[in-house]
Amino acid sequence: MAVPAAPLSARRPFLTMARREALGGYLMVIPVCLVLLGLVAYPFVYAIYISFTSRVVGDPGVFVGFRNYQFLFNWVSFNRALTNTVTLVIVTDILKFFIGLGLALLLNERIKGRGLFRSFILLPWAMPAFVSYLTWRLLFLPIGGGINLLLAAVGFDFGVIDWLGPRSTAMPAVIIATVWRGFPFWCISFLAALQNVPQEQYEAAKVDGASTWQRFLFITLPSIRHVIIVVTLLSSIWTANSFESIWIMTQGGPSDATMVLPVLAFFGLQSQRLGEAAAVSVAVVPALAILVFIVAALLQREE
Amino acid sequence: MATVSRAQVPAPAQEQSEARSRFGIPWRTIAIYVTLLIVCLIVLFPIYWMLTISFKTSRDIYRVPSLFPQAPTLINYETLLLKKNFLVNIRNSFIVASAATFVSVFISALASYSLVRLKYRFRGAIGKIILLAYLTPSSLLFIPLSVLVAQLNLGNSLHGLVIVYMTFATPFSTWLLMGYFKGIPPDLEEQAMVDGATRFGAMMRVLLPLSAPGLVAVGIFTFTGAWNELLLALIFITSEDKRTVPVGLQYLITGDVFLWGPIMAGAVFSALPVMILYFLAQRYMVQGLAAGSVKG
Repeated sequence: MAVPAAPLSARRPFLTMARREALGGYLMVIPVCLVLLGLVAYPFVYAIYISFTSRVVGDPGVFVGFRNYQFLFNWVSFNRALTNTVTLVIVTDILKFFIGLGLALLLNERIKGRGLFRSFILLPWAMPAFVSYLTWRLLFLPIGGGINLLLAAVGFDFGVIDWLGPRSTAMPAVIIATVWRGFPFWCISFLAALQNVPQEQYEAAKVDGASTWQRFLFITLPSIRHVIIVVTLLSSIWTANSFESIWIMTQGGPSDATMVLPVLAFFGLQSQRLGEAAAVSVAVVPALAILVFIVAALLQREE
Repeated sequence: MATVSRAQVPAPAQEQSEARSRFGIPWRTIAIYVTLLIVCLIVLFPIYWMLTISFKTSRDIYRVPSLFPQAPTLINYETLLLKKNFLVNIRNSFIVASAATFVSVFISALASYSLVRLKYRFRGAIGKIILLAYLTPSSLLFIPLSVLVAQLNLGNSLHGLVIVYMTFATPFSTWLLMGYFKGIPPDLEEQAMVDGATRFGAMMRVLLPLSAPGLVAVGIFTFTGAWNELLLALIFITSEDKRTVPVGLQYLITGDVFLWGPIMAGAVFSALPVMILYFLAQRYMVQGLAAGSVKG
């Protein structure tokens, strides 16, 4: 990079400017490439390999073909974890979309104290995930939890409910906590997109007599469509793979009612059956890969 | 459809009067404020609950449940710090998060400079791979990583954890920094090079100072990502004296007795540094978030 140019330029140098630039470029990018190769690419391929073996801790096992996957699809816990993961992603996505977009539209109005409201709405996002889920676990306690007290205080006294205890309320409770923690990301992303929509378009539409609803439908939504898709896909990827939310609140209980794939894979690792545990996480790779490739293409087009 | 609704379209003047009633009461604005206030209360309630429980004795938590603390006490903080060795957890988290951030931001800054400013073959492909790596979740990698860590004898050590944290920290900070560097026009560096600066000099004296806010933001994001990480730390740390903050706290809930007071005191302790950082650097953080690229 910082090679003195004068003595070399007398002959036709092997290291031309372009070559020197390329060499410097490779040198600077190599450390990150090594990290990616050793800590992401290799483990990824290795996970797929392990999922086709009968590996347990202390014994590499043998190649067993699709036996682990056959086992998974007949295993009640896996099917429940798969259903729960998909449900959790879809329901929280829908809720976060409406709450996030609604609030973003409100915050996009010219009102006083907008910055302050935005700061408050960001708080759940700034809070460490494990802290917020710990707090929600406490909030849902039958005695000493805040939800029952709060409901009683505002006039809905349902008595002493153990929200995370029974099957019927555990999943809704988990969904509420996940939405609370996740909606600020949607809201702020939408708000930023809304602020980039050119005002002239609205003025022109007003002149043409478009109603508020029509302006929303034909100007606002199409302008932020790209951000909506990216945020939805990113959030789905993260929710589907979130371990700590479920681990901290319910550990998948009661009896698998809130079991999700990352927690199931973790239990597989704890019981030392690596082959099956790896299969649990690899089983969703095809679906995950589709989401990842779409969002990657969109994020790169953005530039 | 369009023609039907067109008939109902109010003229702009009418719409103005909709927003403000006959008596000049701005109902629309009031509705917005009320909604936002309710949302703020919902957002703040769990945070408030974390704080009040951290100031209550266990007796008060269970026997006299109330929305407001009756007799605030610091006993939970005392228990946490003196009996539960929480300071050791904080120290471990601090070491791991700082080291992971330092190493990852350093190599990422070099890589993203190279990918954004220099021209060579495969740089487009490398950029794509970085993005794919960033989108690859740790929940997919922790099983093979556990095998690799055991083979390399890196288990139950803080430096092992730092190395493992590179899996998410490096692609993440490289991807973000590429975005920041792209936002800075190359003209300034080219000008400096015309004036006799080397490329390295131009990077050090022009690009880095200009992207300082970006570097700080990426540093904070990476630090908090490592500070908050639970899954990998739970797998790789086995002895009590090496536990990081999330691991230490989650062992408090899986114990026999749920010590909610000390647990929430710990929650306050772990959330405070991160939330203060976010608050101070809010503008840059929101920019990063708005780029649609920061984990929510």
